[in-house]
Amino acid sequence: MALDRDFAGALADVVGAGHVHQAPGDLAVYARDATPLFHQVPDAVVFPATTEQVARVLRLATAHRVPVVPRGAGSNLCAATVPVRGGIVLALTRMTQILEISTDELLARVQPGVTTARLADAATARNLLYAPDPGSRTTATVGGNIATCAGGLRGLKYGVTRNYVLGLEAVLPTGEVVRTGGRLWKDVAGYDLTRLLTGSEGTLAVITEATVALLPAPAESNTGVAYFESLTEASRAVGAIISAGIVPATLEFLDRKCVAVVEEYAGLGLRLDAGALLLFGEDGPLATVAANMLRMRQICAETGALEVTVAEDIVRSEALLAARRCSLPALSRLGSLTVLEDVTVPRPRMPEMVGRIDEIADRFDLQIATFGHAGDGNLHPTCVLDPDDEDAVGRVHKAFAEVFRAAIRLDGTITGEHGVGSAKLPFLADRLGATQLGLLRRIKTAFDPAGILNPGKLGS
Amino acid sequence: MIFSKTLLDRCISCGYCLPACPTYAMTGDEASSPRGRISLMRALETGHLEDDDPTLAEQASFCLGCRACEPVCPAGVEYGNLLEEWRDHQWSGRRSPLPARLLMALVSRSWLVRAQGLVRRHARTVTSASGPSLMLGCVERGLFPRVSHAARKLAPGLSVPKRQGCCGALHAHNGDSGTGERMAKSLGDALPGTIVTTSGGCAAHLAAHVGRPRVRELSEYLVEHDHLPSGRLLVDGRVARVALQDSCHLRNGLGISRQPRELIRAVAEYVELPSAGACCGAAGTYSILRPRESGEILSVKIDEIEAAEVDFVVAVNPGCLRQLKTGLRKRGSRVRAVHLAELLVIVPR
Ligand SMILES: Cc1cc2nc3c(=O)[nH]c(=O)nc-3n(C[C@H](O)[C@H](O)[C@H](O)COP(=O)(O)OP(=O)(O)OC[C@H]3O[C@@H](n4cnc5c(N)ncnc54)[C@H](O)[C@@H]3O)c2cc1C
Ligand code: SF4
Ligand code: SF4
Repeated sequence: MALDRDFAGALADVVGAGHVHQAPGDLAVYARDATPLFHQVPDAVVFPATTEQVARVLRLATAHRVPVVPRGAGSNLCAATVPVRGGIVLALTRMTQILEISTDELLARVQPGVTTARLADAATARNLLYAPDPGSRTTATVGGNIATCAGGLRGLKYGVTRNYVLGLEAVLPTGEVVRTGGRLWKDVAGYDLTRLLTGSEGTLAVITEATVALLPAPAESNTGVAYFESLTEASRAVGAIISAGIVPATLEFLDRKCVAVVEEYAGLGLRLDAGALLLFGEDGPLATVAANMLRMRQICAETGALEVTVAEDIVRSEALLAARRCSLPALSRLGSLTVLEDVTVPRPRMPEMVGRIDEIADRFDLQIATFGHAGDGNLHPTCVLDPDDEDAVGRVHKAFAEVFRAAIRLDGTITGEHGVGSAKLPFLADRLGATQLGLLRRIKTAFDPAGILNPGKLGS
Repeated sequence: MIFSKTLLDRCISCGYCLPACPTYAMTGDEASSPRGRISLMRALETGHLEDDDPTLAEQASFCLGCRACEPVCPAGVEYGNLLEEWRDHQWSGRRSPLPARLLMALVSRSWLVRAQGLVRRHARTVTSASGPSLMLGCVERGLFPRVSHAARKLAPGLSVPKRQGCCGALHAHNGDSGTGERMAKSLGDALPGTIVTTSGGCAAHLAAHVGRPRVRELSEYLVEHDHLPSGRLLVDGRVARVALQDSCHLRNGLGISRQPRELIRAVAEYVELPSAGACCGAAGTYSILRPRESGEILSVKIDEIEAAEVDFVVAVNPGCLRQLKTGLRKRGSRVRAVHLAELLVIVPR
């Protein structure tokens, strides 16, 4: 459906005609994100450059009752940026300025379209650390990270994006601009709207600026690799490491299939015959890193590791982490449809969850590879299949529904970091219950009375 | 069927390639990103977009074909091949851009290619039944005839067979990959043994059609055969400062980036440009087809070269060399752009 002529003209007046795209080809490329099996062409793509433009676009959209879907890099894995009800995709990829980095306040102020890696690099250049570290860091935007409350490879020790957002500038669907939080670590005046907006998946407001906390960069870091018979064994080692009182910077695992494809891409010389690989890492003062790396090596050996090695230098250590980050796309080497899911369970229940996933895969006759942020109990079972095999596609849906149910039964959740989006909305009630779901809807109405912001997602 | 299904299916839209793409960096628009272009190809394949869709036409020519999206893709998407298939369809017959059509017509007349080389005096032909053979390159023998002389001096064992035509890379990148493939194969037949080329673009194209093992780009060949130059290149009594501009197809297509740096380091002080690995905007016929965008990319590059305070900037591909020379001349820069072979032969031994 094309936009009303007057409305399209008004949009062009706000952002400039060159920044409102309506040609079929230009729309087709915004029909999907990194989520397979979801697809809907928008009616227009609008590229604002300033907060003021975002506000005027939203005011117009509310007046005309046209849906608006905010979008960063479109790297999310839950169909969060698929415009399921059509309307406008609001692409924030022109707002890419790092506005400020303060070494004495330990914070950065950025526009939403800055990629996570660019922010992290800018921090590193001043000997600071931006801790959130999603696998998609080179592509994903800070706005998208905040809107999904992205986790990542440093989650266990440093927490997720939420822990680093100090303040936001955001535009409500009505066009009002709010500034939540600010530059302070301590500030309890009012409801914590900063946290409410963090993880709101573009359904409450459009983030136009973020102030995020930085940390002093750790002096030293290192990463090691341990090979195990199976993922279950590796998850026992994870339990033992944590019980020993160590909170490592990195604790990630990959099963045999993931190791094989990652090795094919990165060529690191990983061992291909083991059932699972555990990546463990630490950062901090030199002595702490040395001591904890040694302890973790010992624990892995004691819990039955087939082999344990430690990276000889920082380059090798970075290469190992980079390899882990790309496991999802690398998996598509096994087949062209790659459906990745994201469940979290309490850490002690991880071996059980791994077992349940294997059992479900067998029962539905599917190939499911698993990797994940072992330290947080966050698993990414990933199914690789042929998209033309309709029967298999049907089985995938059923199998993952069971995976979600199994996670909830183990006191876990249906998504640890990727979000609900459109893909998991049908399962949200199972996790939250009717009362909470109702409350979510009332909050949504308070922010977005016309219901134009990312409809068909949270709060719908 | 416009595209090989296995090629198109491989992309999972993860977006890992976005930050590597120079055209996406210019616009921030998904349509001008590798992932977006693959979406466009899919829409074309499935009939959701018409052949004459303006976005398809625009993006097929806006893409530099630099293949920077390939090495960063963990899924192993062969974007360069997809682009060739796309342009074959998009630019079939009269729909191909006129300047590209003219150039292709020129270089496919092998007598013409040979004649211009003779007029411009490239290296003397020397035959050997077994190779290794030095490939003269169609553009290079006309524009930079000194390069083949230099290559012969650096590797005297190379024979320079007569009757060499063009390798067809130009065709392959401009919507006629069938001809491109035929030309590569026939050149492969005309050049015995290992084929050594002084052009990154030709190297990658040849490797795709006559087999990687038969093709060596000059820097790769010199390093493999221990022809590391000795001596120091001096400027005003100090060691020269030298930067490199990678050839996209060499770096992204064949994975060669270490060897040219190693050779430069052997004779001079090597200076890494921040964007050495990113396209200079020459991109085959791009500077002719899209002068505005090409100039925009080049201007950033020239800024970097000036800021690096180097004496020489080295290219390993004639198109890039021409592009850099033009950019530096327009700026009145004192930095000289030279081919790697030319740099290495001026080093006093
Ligand atoms: C290979 C790969 C690895 C990944 N690894 C991780 C990982 O380790 N951890 C993790 O948590 N996720 C991971 N992801 C998922 C994804 O990268 C994250 O969800 C990321 O935060 C999305 O950022 P984006 O800029 O791409 O946002 P988008 O995908 O564009 O948007 C995501 C959501 O945020 C909203 N949004 C975006 N920008 C704004 C804004 N300015 N204001 C309001 N709402 C906005 C959108 O409406 C949407 O709901 C991975 C994805 C891939 C493909
Ligand atoms: S081309 Fe590769 S990196 Fe780019 S979106 Fe597709 S799979 Fe990901
Ligand atoms: S070939 Fe170069 S310009 Fe074209 S999509 Fe790939 S990275 Fe972008």
